[in-house]
Formats: sequence, structure tokens, C-alpha cells
Amino acid sequence: MVSAGIKPGVPVILRELEPSSEMFKQGASLRVTGILQSYDMDSATAVIKDGSVSLKIDTQNLRDVSFRTNSAYQFIGELQIHADNEAILQARIGRNVDGLDLNLYQSALLIQREQEAKLRSSRRT
Amino acid sequence: MGPPLHLVHIKILAADLLSLTVLQTSRPSFLRRGRTVTRAELVGIVVSRDRREKFLRFLIDDGTGCVPCVLWLNHQYLNANVSSELSASDPNAEMALKMSEEVCLGTLLRVRGKIVMYRGAIQIAVRDVVLEKDPNVEVLHWLQCVRLAKECYDLPPPSAPGAT
Repeated sequence: MVSAGIKPGVPVILRELEPSSEMFKQGASLRVTGILQSYDMDSATAVIKDGSVSLKIDTQNLRDVSFRTNSAYQFIGELQIHADNEAILQARIGRNVDGLDLNLYQSALLIQREQEAKLRSSRRT
Repeated sequence: MGPPLHLVHIKILAADLLSLTVLQTSRPSFLRRGRTVTRAELVGIVVSRDRREKFLRFLIDDGTGCVPCVLWLNHQYLNANVSSELSASDPNAEMALKMSEEVCLGTLLRVRGKIVMYRGAIQIAVRDVVLEKDPNVEVLHWLQCVRLAKECYDLPPPSAPGAT
């Protein structure tokens, strides 16, 4: 069902998701990318990693996504923050992104953010 | 002075598209920094899908915004009621049905179409849909949008002061 209330998943790099970051907010809609380290079928929980940082993904709402360790995945969903600032992304969209140049992706993301900031400031003037 | 943009599908990010200036004329028109735009090309992930008898409605998320898109399927209905809107470049019923099958949750799509207003919100009336299997295509689109904005779309319109 198409809903006007669906927020875009803001792309973030996993190392940006630390408690002091402005993106680290309960319920924030995010898009995360990383290599699948493990998948627990019982809890439908995946762990993705980018560099030295990992993030848990709740995949129970996903359909038609097959999980292979060491493959690259991208998830869109909402961040749930539990005690001790432990975070898990409740995914509503997931896809395999094998072949994605992660370094280029992260560089392009910074350029895209600059453009968005420029657009926002031009709207204010 | 920038070239006219109203005849091309401008490559644009969702945030930019959704913040176009809308002129409420007899048929709404859309301005980007004073220049009329009528068609857009987006690349993003399908995050929502609603199939009805006469149309398929879906949302494309490119990381900067979610753009509502509508793909009309009932071309008999269209022909009978709004034939003045159709042109040779509109998809026929068979093409539209085939394109609708590409629209699945989680897929990366390139969507091109006309910028329209529906219930006060900007949306895309889809002309074509391409399934993009290479995830790097989205990255390329981001960079193309930024470059084209800087080198082409942000140039002043022909009538603006300072335009050469």
C-alpha cells in the first residue's frame, strides 16, 4: 500500500551510527549498507559489517531476500535503540548489493549530502 | 544561459523534485530556479507498491526523498477520457503491464515520466521503467544529478538578468 507517510531511508555509513551522532535517533529512517557476517534464522536477525563497525538488522518483515554470508546487503528501516545504546535496524526493505563499489558509494554519498545541504540553504534564502 | 529544460527528462534527486515551485495555472506547471521543467528521471528503490485495476502506484526512495509514481494500466479508459494527454511516447497497455512487473519491493529502478500534481502533491506519471541490476547505477545517478545541477540546471533562464 503506497503511503505518503513513508519517510526516505537516509543513507548512512555504519561508523556514523555512534550514540553521539545526530543520525543515532530512536525511530530514525535509515539506509545502511554492509557485508553480511551472520544470520540467525530463529530470531531473523542479521549482522552486517562495514570496516570495523557492525550493526544488527531485524529482518522478520522482509520477504524474498535470501541471505548469504560475505555478500553485501542494503537495508532500509527504522532504528530501534535499546538499553546501553544498543541499536538494531528494523528493516522494511532489503536487497543484495554484491558488486557495489563501497568506497565510491561512500564518497558519492558525501557529495550528495553537500548538494542536499546547498539545496536546503537556497530554499531558505 | 541555460538551454530549455521543458523538453527533456531532467535527472534529479527526490528532494529537489519534491521542492519544485508549482505555478497554479489552468494546468499546473513546475519551476526549478525559474526554469520550467516538465519531465524527470529518478533512480531509487521501490519501498511501497499498490496495484489497482487501472493503475499501479509506487514509491521510489533515492535516499533524499520518497517520490510517488503512478503507472497507468487501463489504456482503454485513458483513450476514452483524456486522449488529448496521450502522445506517441506514452506506453501502450502491453508495455505498461510489462513495466508493472518490474516494480517489486526492494528493486532498484530507473523511472522516467511527466511531473504532475495529485491531491496537492508532486508525483510522476510514469512513461518508462527500467530494472537496474547494477547497484552502482544509483551512485552514478547521484553524481550525474549533482553535476547536471551545477553545469546546466542551475544556470539562469534566458529571460533572467545576467543571462547571456
